[in-house]
Amino acid sequence: MSNQSLEATVEPADVQSWIDAIGREPSAAVPLLQAIQGAYGYLPRKAMDLVIANTDVNASQLYGVATFYAQFRLKPVGRHLIKVCHGTACHVLGADRLNTSLNHILGITDEEEDTAANGSYTVEDVACIGCCSLAPVMLIGEEAFPNLSGADAQRSLKKHARKVKEVLPGHEEMQNEAKAKKAAKVQEVRA
Amino acid sequence: MNGMIITVGEGTCGIAAGAKDVMTLLKKQAPEAEFRVVGCVGMCHREVMVEIENPDGQVYLWGDVDRKSAPKIMKFHKGAGDLPKDNLIRSSENPDAETDAYLARQTRIALRNVGHIDPKSLEQAQGRGSYVAIKKMVAEMSPEDVIEQVKIANIRGRGGAGFPAATKWTFARNAPGDKKYLVCNGDEGDPGAFMDRSLLEGDPHTVLEGMLVAAYAIGASNGYAYIRAEYPLAVENFQKALEDARAANLLGDNILGSGFSFDVKIKQGAGAFVCGEETALLASIEGERGMPRIRPPFPAIKGLFAYPTIINNVETLSNLGWIINQGGKAYSDIGTSGSKGTKVFALAGAIKNGGLVEVPMGMTVRQMLEEIGGGSSTDYPIKAVQLGGPSGGCIPASLFDTPIEYEAINATGAIMGSGGIIVMDEKSCMVDISRYFLEFTQLESCGKCTFCRIGTVRMQEILSRICDGKGTMEDLDTLEELAHKIKDSSLCGLGQTAPNPVLTTLKYFREEYEAHVKDQKCPAGVCKGLITHFIVQDECTGCTICERYCPVNCIEGELKKPETWVIDQEVCINCGMCVEVCKPDAILVQ
Ligand SMILES: Cc1cc2nc3c(=O)[nH]c(=O)nc-3n(C[C@H](O)[C@H](O)[C@H](O)COP(=O)(O)O)c2cc1C
Ligand code: FES
Repeated sequence: MSNQSLEATVEPADVQSWIDAIGREPSAAVPLLQAIQGAYGYLPRKAMDLVIANTDVNASQLYGVATFYAQFRLKPVGRHLIKVCHGTACHVLGADRLNTSLNHILGITDEEEDTAANGSYTVEDVACIGCCSLAPVMLIGEEAFPNLSGADAQRSLKKHARKVKEVLPGHEEMQNEAKAKKAAKVQEVRA
Repeated sequence: MNGMIITVGEGTCGIAAGAKDVMTLLKKQAPEAEFRVVGCVGMCHREVMVEIENPDGQVYLWGDVDRKSAPKIMKFHKGAGDLPKDNLIRSSENPDAETDAYLARQTRIALRNVGHIDPKSLEQAQGRGSYVAIKKMVAEMSPEDVIEQVKIANIRGRGGAGFPAATKWTFARNAPGDKKYLVCNGDEGDPGAFMDRSLLEGDPHTVLEGMLVAAYAIGASNGYAYIRAEYPLAVENFQKALEDARAANLLGDNILGSGFSFDVKIKQGAGAFVCGEETALLASIEGERGMPRIRPPFPAIKGLFAYPTIINNVETLSNLGWIINQGGKAYSDIGTSGSKGTKVFALAGAIKNGGLVEVPMGMTVRQMLEEIGGGSSTDYPIKAVQLGGPSGGCIPASLFDTPIEYEAINATGAIMGSGGIIVMDEKSCMVDISRYFLEFTQLESCGKCTFCRIGTVRMQEILSRICDGKGTMEDLDTLEELAHKIKDSSLCGLGQTAPNPVLTTLKYFREEYEAHVKDQKCPAGVCKGLITHFIVQDECTGCTICERYCPVNCIEGELKKPETWVIDQEVCINCGMCVEVCKPDAILVQ
């Protein structure tokens, strides 16, 4: 599913300002990509083209670097980013379950997909975020949620969604199903 | 409440546990008190931690502080409430034997200031002796003197390889060229370790002091600190340290009027494990894909941008100021004949006192786990520890009397590694953990060497097969054969060590592999392909909660009719959500 609506609008002046601040030499490739991703959450094609046209970094190097490092993504990202830690401590204590339960209420069923259909949240796996004693851990944006069970993860996400006024597609579907079931029951009783 | 001093631990772990909220709350409750922020002391299992010093000098250390307990604690300090016992870790009147042992059994050199200072304050760092070594060094010592002291200290690199620091420095010192680089390796790739994070974010000046010592010794004028992307607070605090040190003429041109100049730039990593390897790290700083290079030439001769370069680990560097102050002899007095000084470990997993510990070399694994770690945190005994993450191996409980020193640990098949220790109990599956690490190295392999690129994929496939109960006994032999071939034909440490987790578990826990293959059983009840979830209807209350949480809708039944509840085994993915949410424990895993 392509999330057309999530494509970022790239201002050439912004990209130019990062190039001016960081530099044009080949060693600027990683920091430039970090600046772009920091602003848009991913690496939009247009921003990449601007870097290639205006620096000494060529297309092969830039894409080589962008695809080598786990931090960079070429696909648009949801409005909010969830990072689930899959470091050793979190793995041993059940990090997989956080993904299962988050995907469930986000309605993400396709294994290749990491973003909810309505563009609300993206779920990403990361390696250790450095608080292993509080495993399993996830981050929503910058905020960390420690010692999570799968159910806790859902609760935290629901709370977050209410705060930022996002709809969780999987959760909505579940509620609709429950409503339909109830209605059917009422019908049955009436009949 | 005048005169009260409240200190809150705001390391990454403290913040994750809610330290910022607690701080806000305490400020509201005791607006007149003096508030301080420190890095992580290492007792991560008790976060959020707050230390409160009463005006009369009594000091209380509180743990697990949250929104609920914070007001109770403040009430107590105001003399208006009972002592909240569950939160008290220790007080001057009420020392706690376990906590005191936790700290007393440690020897803190690298971690000497972490948890005691506000990492954003140069003044506080200097109050505890930071940069005294630099003053002494530039006034009294030649670079050769510095190398000599580090040689006497006989400190070996803490980044994993354990190469003697002084030897490496001598190569760079003698390498021709007027421009040299010093790089601080803060990539900390082991996905279960956080020693370097705590140092960089909790005491950045000590790391910087170490960089100054190393730079002076090898004659470097430029430095880089390469810090993992996942550590934003470390970057922030280290950046602040650089600015403050520059303003105080401890960094930059003509440091303290000595004629020695050195400056440091921060480079943020971008999430590639292999970039912790020194030649890959240099490629990454140069803006390339982080692919390791063939050595020789070694970086000490031809490194960053082709200049002589020394790469040292954060923890190695953090010991150097101490060595200059106390002398190399004092350092080598600690430890064993082959391994000097101390080592920092990050304890996680099934251990009671998880967190950061620094122990003298020579302490046994058992002493560390029991006397400092407090033993298992679960109802099950500790079965093994995993040292060194994806490059390391496991040590079974039967070998816990092994002393912590390079040679003895290597002899078990594990490695000292950078310091990550995952403690595993009977509920951890050794096959699953091997599969986990292989999946990690397979993804992180840069792809340069064939055996590392493809061999790790094949190993991972076999391990996944075994975890699914579809393995054969031949698979075990193939695993061993592949493991040795990958070790022998990989260019860098990643491939050379990737098979270690499999080899050590095969060596010590072969019966677990065999149980998966022959009996189609996962003794620990972890591997999803080999377990089934059942509802025990006698225990069930028919509350429907499992139905609501099941991600694949495979549980059905009628409200309050336990006898109707069943799990559709065809659809069930064994994710364990139902077990987690079931209040009466009515779901059985077999
Ligand atoms: C795959 C791989 C990953 C590594 N990761 C790290 C790391 O995260 N941090 C580190 O300091 N050293 C790491 N090293 C070791 C470095 O190559 C190098 O030996 C070390 O930084 C040298 O510093 P030291 O002598 O002070 O230990 C890694 C090595 C390999 C092969
Ligand atoms: S393993 Fe998840 S925080 Fe370290």
